[in-house]
Parts: sequence; structure tokens; C-alpha cells
Amino acid sequence: MLRTIRLYLRLLGTHLRASLEYEADFWLMALGAAMTQVAGFVFIAAVFLRVPDINGWTFWTVALLFGMVGFSEGVINLFFEGMWWLADLKHNGELDYLLVRPYPVALQALSSQVGLNGLGNLLTGGALIVAGLVNTDIDWSPATAVVAVLLFLGAMAARVGIMLACNATTFWLEGPTSMFAFAVHQVGDLARYPLAIYPVVLKGLLGVVLPFAFVSFFPVSWLTGEGGTGWLGLLTPLVGVYCVVLAAWVFRRGLTRYESAGN
Amino acid sequence: MRPYLALTRAMLRSALRYRITFLMGMFGMFFQLIALFAVWRVLLDEREIGGFGWAEMRPYLLIGFTCGMIVSSFTDWRMAYRIVEGTVSLDLVKPVDYQFARFAEIVGGIAAEVGVAVVLWAGVLVFTGPIALPPPELLALFALSMLLVVPLKFLFSYVAGLGCFWTHHYNGIRWTQQAVVAVLSGMMIPLALLPSWLATTAAWLPFAGVASTPGLIFIGRVDAAEAARLVAVQAFWIVVLWLGARLAFRGAVKQLTVHGG
Repeated sequence: MLRTIRLYLRLLGTHLRASLEYEADFWLMALGAAMTQVAGFVFIAAVFLRVPDINGWTFWTVALLFGMVGFSEGVINLFFEGMWWLADLKHNGELDYLLVRPYPVALQALSSQVGLNGLGNLLTGGALIVAGLVNTDIDWSPATAVVAVLLFLGAMAARVGIMLACNATTFWLEGPTSMFAFAVHQVGDLARYPLAIYPVVLKGLLGVVLPFAFVSFFPVSWLTGEGGTGWLGLLTPLVGVYCVVLAAWVFRRGLTRYESAGN
Repeated sequence: MRPYLALTRAMLRSALRYRITFLMGMFGMFFQLIALFAVWRVLLDEREIGGFGWAEMRPYLLIGFTCGMIVSSFTDWRMAYRIVEGTVSLDLVKPVDYQFARFAEIVGGIAAEVGVAVVLWAGVLVFTGPIALPPPELLALFALSMLLVVPLKFLFSYVAGLGCFWTHHYNGIRWTQQAVVAVLSGMMIPLALLPSWLATTAAWLPFAGVASTPGLIFIGRVDAAEAARLVAVQAFWIVVLWLGARLAFRGAVKQLTVHGG
């Protein structure tokens, strides 16, 4: 286990060093990602200048939702960006190389890229989370803090799991791009707003089918007491584990369909 | 004109050939509209904000989204990719105007995007009820301003794409460009509802022309005279950016280094 993690970080490290060779790229990607988060935030801030709350959710609790989604995005960019290149690896037959190495194929694929935009997303998302926590009235105790950390980790795992599972569908789809995963990625942005504003079909989609609500809504709801569905938030770590296990299963099933590209 | 028409046709064919990819991309964008609709529906439930009620906001958001959807096909990615990879050298030796050729490609993509837009509008009208049309003179100005959205949006992408000649990198530029347009075009929130310093900034920039202008005209927030002025502003920016882009291009090709071949 430790060896697996150590190797993973080393693989990431080589790609990180390679990416940092292009310094201007690094700044542009970080800037672009940060600007995207800022744009969403400006929208919501402008709205809250006009109204006190959205369905009972105040500005800072919505900021927490934005922060969680942005931060989880950054986690994927920085540590698991390879998932977005899976379709490419498959299409070009480059998965062959990964298959002959003595290390889990999924982890090799995940660590095959580093998205430098992750830094922009982590910084802006992290800033929103911190600002949200500071400005929200939360009854902190050691137990609350421990649970909050667990929920946070579960939320990140849920997002990574969902997106990996969706990217792994490339084994069943034709073509060199992960358009399905891109579409699901957009669905994930719905989790930046309180779940209650959506029609029931979307609630089902976000709560069960693609449980993005566990990336932001339910854990934040538990912590702040907003939304009245806090108890569901306690399921977040379980949902996180479930998503990752499911993603690993989808990936393994998909890999058996891989036929290389010749040569 | 013939070579340009050929480029337009080729881009349309490409969109139709890779229709699953194309439709999936459009489908993904659709969720942005869902989020905006849901947020504003709740915000405007039995109240108005800054003179906007749900009756105005629904068509306004739909128009803004439609503007965001068109001219979003892969032409600018393709252009950026070819600049970074150096295959742009093949475009440069062709006896066509580079800028106009890229515009011709965009037009081909739009033909496919308009098809999707029509389906989208039909769906929204069926599920959320009919939308009142503005009086004829505003409707005509609205149609004109929608037409002008095309070259204007093209120029934003094109100028951003030219940046690749210097940066050899596109993602970051594209995201920044999209973020700026998302806020300052009024696509997500009418510019009048932004804090005044931001609204003033937006008024002096060309971005309002790709969402706010057609949206405001359609919902009748402006009278015919003001609508005509806004359309003229759109046209003004198209001319300025078109000529500016030409100037930038002259500098840009000097930056180009292509290895091997």
C-alpha cells in the first residue's frame, strides 16, 4: 500500500517536473482556472447583493458549495488528471505500455498527466471554503472537526470516483475524446447551488445516479445545519468509498474490452 | 468566394460526421442553462429584482445561452492546435485570407449549432410555456443583433487564438477569455444588476454585444432608438476588432517558428 502511494507520487512528480518546464503555460493555466472560478463567484456575489438568501442558503454557505466543487476540481486536475487522457491513451493504443508494467493500470493512467490549472482551482476553491467556514455560524467541537474532515475526504473521493467511472466509459464508446465525461462534468457544476432549487428529476440525478450532491450539498448541509438534510451528509464518506470502488470496477470491466490499436 | 465556401462546407460536414461528439458537447452545455434557470426561478419567485421578473428573465437567459452556444464549436481549438503544432504553416501558404478563412469555418459550425438551438427553443417553449414576442421593430433589431453576435464572438475567439503565436499554449487563454465573457456579456446576470463599477466597465467593453444586447432588445427593456444604438455599438466593435485582429496577425506570424517539416 505504502509502496503504491510512493510510486504514484513519483509518477506524478516526473510529469509535474516536465510540465513545469513550460513556465508560461503554468501561469496561464492557473490564471485561466482561477478566472473561471472567479466568474462563477462574481455571479453569485452580484445576486446576493440583491437578495439575502437563496432558499434559506446565505451567501457564505453558498460560497462553501462553490468552494467544495472548485476544490474537488483542483484535486482531480492536480492528482488524477490522467483520467481525462484515458480516451486518448485508448485511441492511440498507448495503453499497451501501461499493461506490461508491474503497477495497477488505472493508477498509471491516472498519474499520466498533471493539470496545472489544478493550482488555480485549489487556491480559489480553498479560499472560498475558508472564507465560508469563518463567516458561518458553526458550533465547533473536536468531534465536529473530525467528522468535518471525514466528510471533506469523502466528498473529494466521491467526485474523483464519479469522474473516473465516467471517463472509463470510453472503453465502450468510440472516438478519441471523453465527450460523455465532459457532459457529466457540466452536471457536476449544478452542485454549486442548493439542491432544493432543482426539479425532482434533477434531485434524483444529483443525489443518486451521479451523486454530485455529496461533493458539496450534503456535507455542507450537515456542517451548517442549512437545508434540513444534514443527516444525509453523514453518508458522505460511504458514498465516497462507493464511488471509488464503483469506478475501479468500471475501469477493470472496461479494460477487458481494450483491443490495442495494432502496431 | 469559392474556397471560403468550401471551408464552410468542410466544417459543417465535420460537425455532422462527428455528431455524437458534437451533440454530447451541446448536451453538456445544456446543464448550464438548467442551473441558471433554477437559480433565477427561485430568486424571482413572486418578486422582481431591479425591474426583472421571471417573465423577462426566462427569454433573456435563453437568448444569452443561445449566444453562448453558437460559435462555440471546435474552430478555435483547431486554429490554436495548428498554431502550436506548426501545421499552421500549411494554412499560411494557401492563397486565401487567413482571418476570413477562419471565419468561413465558424459559419459552417454555426449551421449545425443553429439546428441544435432550434430544438432547444422548441423544448424550452413546450416545457416552460410560450414566450411573448416584442413589437415588430424591436424584433427586426433583435434579429440583426443576433446576426452580429456571430462575427463578434468569432473575433473574441480569433484574437484569443492569435495569442497562441506568442504563448504556444491555448487552454489558459481560452478559459480566461470565457470567464471574462461570461461575466461581462451579461450571459448569467443582466448587466444592470451588477455592482455599478462592474456595470460601467461592461458598458465600455465589447462583450455586452454577445448576450446582453440581443437579450435586452428581445424583452423590450430598451426602446427602438436605444436598441438601434446598441446594435450600432455591436457593429462598431466588429469593425474595430476585425481591423485590430489584422494588425495583430501581422505581428503574430513574425513570432512563428516551425521546426522540421
